[in-house]
Amino acid sequence: MSLSLNNIDKSFGSIKVLNNVNIQSHGRECLGIIGPNGAGKSTLFKVISGNLKQDKGDIYFNSLNINNLNINKRARLGISQSFQKNSLFLEMTVKESIMLALSHKYKITFKMLNSLINNKAINNDAIEIAKDTGLLDYFDTKSDNLSYGLQRQLELGIAISCSPKLLLLDEPTAGMSPAETKEIIKLIKKLSAKYSIIIVEHDMDVIYELANRIYVLDRGTLIFEGDAKSVKNSELVQNKYLGI
Amino acid sequence: MRAVNHNPQLRSQLFFLLLFSAIIANIFGGYFTRFFVAEIVILSIFAISLDFIASRGGMVSLGHAMFLGIGAYTTAILSLNYGISPFASTFLTFITACLIGLIIAYFIVLLDGIFFIMVTLALGEMFNSWVFTSDYLGGSDGISGIMRPDLAFIGIDTNSPLIFTFYVLLWLIGIYYLLIKITDAPLGRNLDAIRQNSNRISAIGGYTRAYKAIAFSLSAGIASVAGSLYVQLNGFISPELTHWTVSGEGLIMIIVGGIGSISGAILGATVVHIVQHELSSIINWWMLVIGFGFIFIVLFMKDGLWGLLEKIQKKLR
Repeated sequence: MSLSLNNIDKSFGSIKVLNNVNIQSHGRECLGIIGPNGAGKSTLFKVISGNLKQDKGDIYFNSLNINNLNINKRARLGISQSFQKNSLFLEMTVKESIMLALSHKYKITFKMLNSLINNKAINNDAIEIAKDTGLLDYFDTKSDNLSYGLQRQLELGIAISCSPKLLLLDEPTAGMSPAETKEIIKLIKKLSAKYSIIIVEHDMDVIYELANRIYVLDRGTLIFEGDAKSVKNSELVQNKYLGI
Repeated sequence: MRAVNHNPQLRSQLFFLLLFSAIIANIFGGYFTRFFVAEIVILSIFAISLDFIASRGGMVSLGHAMFLGIGAYTTAILSLNYGISPFASTFLTFITACLIGLIIAYFIVLLDGIFFIMVTLALGEMFNSWVFTSDYLGGSDGISGIMRPDLAFIGIDTNSPLIFTFYVLLWLIGIYYLLIKITDAPLGRNLDAIRQNSNRISAIGGYTRAYKAIAFSLSAGIASVAGSLYVQLNGFISPELTHWTVSGEGLIMIIVGGIGSISGAILGATVVHIVQHELSSIINWWMLVIGFGFIFIVLFMKDGLWGLLEKIQKKLR
């Protein structure tokens, strides 16, 4: 997997939210993007996922220019995402939600006459994903009846069901209790062995624990790149991010 | 858009109960009962066409009477002007309406909520105005003299109310079976997911527009079958059938029955038509009673009669 963001600019009216952002990611790594509130993290996330289009610059995914591809076309190329706010199918059970996402992986979404729920191969895959995401005990529970932490896990479950080449996680620990945060960090660590991941997060401790490489954004500009240790030790990051 | 719980067991039980009731009423009823049952069956087909797009894709159409009209007028023209048998006409009208539905759907299915409703309403009213003024379609007088299918070669006389009611019941069974297959298939599940959260379907690579267009097209085809059977039952067609209030009545039926279960729509069509028929023969202000009944269901029975049946089913367990 390779992702390359070259000279990305994005403005909303007269406010420049992203300014000449350059990010490269190659191979299986867990890349972190951090920054204080208003740094442009979520905008950058949306630009990568295809929810927003950049004003300037190019995005290449596996050497393919994806500037003009919208969110579903990017998803079909293998860019999968979990949202900052849970975005689930609340009337469906965990099993149904995962099987639905798997129907996209199996490219059978236009099938009209075969039952999805009775598809054995997809059902077995769904069990595996539920195991991976710690949701097997809640397999037949409606998404709406899950706790917030379990809903976050289902977010990840749906995202990985599409067999992604790149997994985008937007603040995966947002709104979680410390215990739930621990669980989700454990889960993402496990997933990072299988998938290339980009995490956008405001909680530096989460990023330090998960990311191999970190980009620091401040007011739309990348101000630092390095591993967790170098970010921790960077005076520039301390000044800008922590206001020290 | 709210839909009832996915409960295939109750769906089948309710369908077979309604089917059994219709068969009994048809066998033991008189001429008018049989005609009345046939009307309910045709309305049920129309109601499930609306139920399908409302629950699979979250599309509420106030212009679906247009497809009812397309079915009725196409059958009338094909059988009267071109000598095509009404049986074949029903299939041809299904294909025609599917194609027209697909073209319309391509442009409108991505519209949300009120915009979708208003565009379908506008399309329906445009069609209604055109039908009213078209000499070819008989203008306000409509077209009469449409025959029922000639199945004499297998010894069946469809002019017999008993036989014709069984004939329309067969259509209902076929359409019900097709729709439950689609509902439980990946396409149906994706359409249900679109109703719940279309953004997420896009984010996992779904073809939202294509899924919704297929559903709308199929629904248009099914509504046209109802129109085709209606014109065969009555022997005539007039522009009133294409008025938006007919679509509105269809929506009332699916809300009363409970949106999203298919069988609930059939139950809704049955109950609403029986209440309309019985009340109108007793009191002049029957519309007022129906209006209050509808408001009661919307306020206190969000899953309609289906919700009530589900509660009964749970208590019986």
